[in-house]
Amino acid sequence: MATKKACERFIEEVHKYGDMKQTGVSLRYMLEFGSVPSDRNMIIAAQFLHKELPIRIARRAVELDSLPFGLSNKPAVLKVRDWYLDSFRDLRSFPEIKDINDEKEFTQMIKMIKVRHNNVVPAMALGVQQLKKSLDPKLDYEDFDEVHQFLDRFYMSRIGIRMLIGQHVEVHDPNPPPNRIGYIHTKLSPTQVAKDASEDARYVCLREYGSAPEINIYGDPSFTFAYMPTHLHMMVFELVKNSLRAVQERYMDSDKVAPPIRIVVADGEEDVTIKVSDEGGGIPRSGLPKIFTYLYSTADNPINERLDDGAGADVVTMAGYGYGLPISRLYARYFGGDLQIISMEGYGTDAYLHLSRLGDSQEPLP
Amino acid sequence: MAAKKLYETFSKSLIEEVQKWGSMKQTGVSLRYMLEFGSRFTERNLILAAQFLHKELPIRIARRAIELQSLPYGLSEKPAILKVRDWYLDSFRDLRAFPDIKDKNDEQDFTKMINLIKVRHNNVVPTMALGVQQLKKDLDPKLTYMDLDDIHQFLDRFYMSRIGIRMLIGQHVAMHEPNPLPDQIGYIHTKMSPVEVARHASEDARSVCLREYGSAPEVTVYGDPDFTFPYVPNHLHLMVFELVKNSLRAVEERFMDSDKLAPPIRIIVADGLEDVTIKVSDEGGGIPRSGLPRIFTYLYSTAKNPLDERADLGTADIATMAGYGFGLPISRLYARYFGGDLQIISMEGYGMFDTT
Repeated sequence: MATKKACERFIEEVHKYGDMKQTGVSLRYMLEFGSVPSDRNMIIAAQFLHKELPIRIARRAVELDSLPFGLSNKPAVLKVRDWYLDSFRDLRSFPEIKDINDEKEFTQMIKMIKVRHNNVVPAMALGVQQLKKSLDPKLDYEDFDEVHQFLDRFYMSRIGIRMLIGQHVEVHDPNPPPNRIGYIHTKLSPTQVAKDASEDARYVCLREYGSAPEINIYGDPSFTFAYMPTHLHMMVFELVKNSLRAVQERYMDSDKVAPPIRIVVADGEEDVTIKVSDEGGGIPRSGLPKIFTYLYSTADNPINERLDDGAGADVVTMAGYGYGLPISRLYARYFGGDLQIISMEGYGTDAYLHLSRLGDSQEPLP
Repeated sequence: MAAKKLYETFSKSLIEEVQKWGSMKQTGVSLRYMLEFGSRFTERNLILAAQFLHKELPIRIARRAIELQSLPYGLSEKPAILKVRDWYLDSFRDLRAFPDIKDKNDEQDFTKMINLIKVRHNNVVPTMALGVQQLKKDLDPKLTYMDLDDIHQFLDRFYMSRIGIRMLIGQHVAMHEPNPLPDQIGYIHTKMSPVEVARHASEDARSVCLREYGSAPEVTVYGDPDFTFPYVPNHLHLMVFELVKNSLRAVEERFMDSDKLAPPIRIIVADGLEDVTIKVSDEGGGIPRSGLPRIFTYLYSTAKNPLDERADLGTADIATMAGYGFGLPISRLYARYFGGDLQIISMEGYGMFDTT
């Protein structure tokens, strides 16, 4: 049959692209390139993406098909795999980019691809839930090490793809806000972001518990550096949210005043480090490895089976997915930084967010 | 002068015995076991304990003696290392030559002997450090600490084993103490207050800092002073002393020439269900992330080297602010010996700013 043959050829193409070598891009390169958005540069960038995106997407599509424990066959995962295959097809069938009009159409197309993939995280989370239900409850998080490693690679890759697409689309903005190159803010104040993220987190806490502990921020308010405000906001928000929840639950029924959460921002030569400290009772040392896994959460599960309503990705809850910390760490590592959690059982927890300033580190390309 | 080859001083049969015992399986002893055993104080128990040590110590000592002979990069041939190896062989021989322990008198003689063994090995750490220095001089300066990973791993095993051997000997000897302190079972204090130990260790560290710099930042300890748990106060003192010493030095060097008041070092003691955690925090400027792996290696120190070639001095007791490069890795071994750990996290640049 014609369709069967075409199908086979398509699958072969996916595998072929999935084996090709990925090319990383550094923050510094994105900054330099994006600061000169001439027609010629845009065409060159589009041509690069036209080659690079199918490679990254195919690699993930191939992996999605070969997950352990039958994860690949879960309905939610099949859905995600189809999104990846559709996007691959869209990219491969787009003709060569020769002039600025081609480039504009290409940009439109990759923008749509990004939108198609908006709900990948909750969808994958649902797939993992579906898997958990069908498995032996005696298996614990350690047995799922392959799945964790896959998800780390998968989400890291997704961060990269969305970064590349997003930067390219944003650089087309004819009236960018000052100090912006695409998504990158060249003079981002980490203390300001910490303030904003803290307020947002306190708001969520207030809504859920009726009260929220105070947050104090220490750091030089005039210090700025080049980074992605959305990424940073997301990570600090996540850490503060966890701290607020821990302190709130510890002091809710007590007469004592809940001790404030302390955020310290330090600027070094290699790194900018943001520490979020709380006195929320801490995590026992044996429990620490679990907090970075994708299948663990101490809260009730808020995911339900409604994947397509598009609202799922934006509704913020205090807890429940079990994805906040591991994904925050991927964001930190994406540009050469890291996220470390140290806890003092019986006292509280410190989270250290290291953001690399050097800007030369290449994207990690799992 | 120590002979380079084993067979020059030691008989063939001894060498074979060392090999044999070095391959035998070691038996671990937990803190809980030491506590329980040590609190049931009878002659019979002491004899049983001595018989156990009579079998176990030669195994542990032989294992290390063999490793000392086969170190990479020619480390085994350095004079200081040969000296240590000979200490281990002599101790092995003493243990193997001791007859079966049958009664109380045998047991007392045995105890005296192992105490002497412990004294013989008192200076192992500075001597090994000297051997490593001797090696560093010979090596290609382009080699970094990462290339010497074999040596780091060996030293970790070696020192961890030494902690264990000295713990076992020390506990056994201490059980003979006619007037033991209350709440003390050998080296273990059944009601040790970590807050108190932290305070003492801080004071000791501050006096070293004062002596060396002429001033010392404040140290504040937060925690429940009534909280106690069973532990080895010497070990804890050593570890906290080391950490506070490092913090004091960092803060002192950062604020020495500044008008600003040096921010105090803060120690927090937390008691949880699984762990007791002690956090030592400073605002001394931090360590860049790229520099962190190095601080747990045995060949790295940011200070000038205080070691010289006089290894026979009882210099093991003189505390200096810095220089050996052994303080942190060995503190971590002490922490891990009883199932704990030591972690260092740094915020580069943290030290001088205002609150928002």
